[in-house]
Amino acid sequence: MARMKFLCDIERCIACNGCVVACKEGHELPVGISRRRVVTINEGKPGEKSISISCMHCSDPPCMAVCPVEAIYQREDGIVLVNKEICIGCGYCFMACPFGAPQFPKNNSFGARGAMDKCTFCAGGPAPTFSEEERRLYGQNRIAEGKVPLCAGMCATKALLAGDGEVIAEIFSQRVARRGSGVAWGWSKAYK
Amino acid sequence: MMRRGVLFLVCLFWPNWALGEEILRGYAPFSWVELFKRFNPLILDHWEKEVFQFISSLGVLKGYYAWLSLGLLGLLLVHYFLFGPRRFSSRGRKIHYYSALTRFIHWGAAIFMSLLVFTGLGLIFAKELGGGYLVTNLRVFHLGSAFVFLGFGVLLFLIMVKDMFPAPYDLKWFFVLGGYLSKKKARVPAGKFNAGQKIWFWVSTLGGGAMFWTGYKLYLFTAPTVELRSNLILHQYLGLPLLALFLVHLYMALFAVKGALRSMISGYKHEEEVKILHPKYYEKLNLD
Repeated sequence: MARMKFLCDIERCIACNGCVVACKEGHELPVGISRRRVVTINEGKPGEKSISISCMHCSDPPCMAVCPVEAIYQREDGIVLVNKEICIGCGYCFMACPFGAPQFPKNNSFGARGAMDKCTFCAGGPAPTFSEEERRLYGQNRIAEGKVPLCAGMCATKALLAGDGEVIAEIFSQRVARRGSGVAWGWSKAYK
Repeated sequence: MMRRGVLFLVCLFWPNWALGEEILRGYAPFSWVELFKRFNPLILDHWEKEVFQFISSLGVLKGYYAWLSLGLLGLLLVHYFLFGPRRFSSRGRKIHYYSALTRFIHWGAAIFMSLLVFTGLGLIFAKELGGGYLVTNLRVFHLGSAFVFLGFGVLLFLIMVKDMFPAPYDLKWFFVLGGYLSKKKARVPAGKFNAGQKIWFWVSTLGGGAMFWTGYKLYLFTAPTVELRSNLILHQYLGLPLLALFLVHLYMALFAVKGALRSMISGYKHEEEVKILHPKYYEKLNLD
């Protein structure tokens, strides 16, 4: 079974935020929820680099480990999804996530948090595939259509790669072979 | 022939020289390891240092709450059957104990603290309750009750604090555990409030305040994530002693001391109860 992964090529990312906008628009996310974000270092200076991050669909997800109602589950292809009907909006998953992927709308009484929303790898959720309920709660299901996630599909420089881990690794290693990756070998590099 | 030889040597030496001079270096001069080392603080914050502790602290908590609630309830049940309740005669004078204001504030705080405790337990045992709509609304009730409780809690603190300062005989009260581990109706050293009541007062007001503060930070959800984690752990672990003393307070007031509930409603205690359970206060009244 293919193991789905994200890889953002830092050399190619130009921080256009097209991935952020594509995801937000394609899933019709409400105001305040952003499933993907771009982080930049050395902004405006030589050596400016950017990376696009969202839920990374970890192999041993810390969010799954702390969820008190077991609303978060992992598919066989590695995609981590949340069941919004069970989620109680406690926020422990956000505290356990290294990437800050879970987002919460404050749409309950007293401004309390509602159910958690996060990147679904464009794979919908536990609701029936292609149903109106799935679209409303979780957004598009592109994986079931055989398409690549919105963010990677829309990336201007093809910095963001998403899909079968082995295919991505192959693409990336070819890129590295062609352009180099700095002083890649040598004692001082390996044992700095 | 000579030209071919020269060409051969050039082809041999030129690339190596060029590589040495780094003319042929690729256009990606940065090592990804260096780049990630600089990205990680921005993305991960202090995650790698804290999260394992965080996950394991959360994991054991449900067990602690289960053991505490069931175990303590069992202990109190055993105590009731072994020692039975304290009964005091209703003959003699009625001594004014709680003013109307005190009673009103106490009951206000009591109702909302009970709501907080029960909705809080509902959140701890969310999986058993099925999560979803029910537990989300328990959470909303938890929030609402917290704000109301804050008002009552502060007032309760202010109106009762003057009788709650530690006294020298409080330690002696602890050594006999208030006489509750014996069936005899002997006097125990206590003023208007005994040492156990004082402990409950300080834990529920100061502890309740700390619960409110940490809970408020959790509700806002905007602190740096490091603080959110420590606020959550503090909030849930502080709930344990609060729950324990809350259950003991309920047991004492509703079952173990007959007439205690009535005195908090009417404001009066009967003479014998004050003489036995709060003798120092009784002496002070009779000396007046």
